[in-house]
Amino acid sequence: MSTTHPSRPVPKTFPCVRCGLTVTASGPDGTPRNHCPSCLHSLHVLDAVEGGPSECRSRMAPISIAVLRTGDWMVIHRCARCGELTSNPICPDDNQLILMRMAVRPLAQPPFPLEAFGGL
Amino acid sequence: MPRRNPAGERPQRRKDVRHGQGGDAFRCVGCGLDVPVHAPGTAHRNHCPHCLTSLHLDRRVPGDRRAGCRGRMTALSVTVRHDGEWLIIHHCQSCGVLSANRIAGDDNALALLRIAMRPLSDRRLPVSAMLTL
Repeated sequence: MSTTHPSRPVPKTFPCVRCGLTVTASGPDGTPRNHCPSCLHSLHVLDAVEGGPSECRSRMAPISIAVLRTGDWMVIHRCARCGELTSNPICPDDNQLILMRMAVRPLAQPPFPLEAFGGL
Repeated sequence: MPRRNPAGERPQRRKDVRHGQGGDAFRCVGCGLDVPVHAPGTAHRNHCPHCLTSLHLDRRVPGDRRAGCRGRMTALSVTVRHDGEWLIIHHCQSCGVLSANRIAGDDNALALLRIAMRPLSDRRLPVSAMLTL
């Protein structure tokens, strides 16, 4: 017996390029998403510099967290092959542990001693 | 401020960079500071050491000057390479492009630290969930 029903469209999914998880193309709040909620990896399908679709189709690893003026968090991806950078808003079901790990990583490896800022 | 992890293991990565067209200094679009191109710790300075603002001049290759945008690029976030080097992610205010540049030895440490602390000072952060780990 088929589980699909004509009145209920099947949600669009994509497999994660890194961990293989089947990810729905829209988040729990209905916003479209482009990265895996488990490992936060993405696929390079849009070209930010040239505009339009990209022919790279390589894996994009999350490298950092950016906080906009509105307070929204963005995850910044870098393509492993061509080095392109993209930013995308996080989803409520994204892996909080990986998000936190990216947020504290700069402070764990400071290029200057942080003791001087203890009084601030 | 002295660097805590000086790059002793590996020399700076060679790049196909075209420098030398713009003289030996540029004026910051954010704060108006006259910035010399030569910086301690890096050969690819593109941002103001005081306010970390940059200008959108290059397209794909650093130094190619093919962007045609000339928008102001503000520091969006900070990331760390595997060797511990910090990179600033710049965001163009007029076209929205992102770019990364390694920090220089004379970059404003307080401004860098404020960007790095931005996610952690968010009030919506699930700190309690992290403390249970």
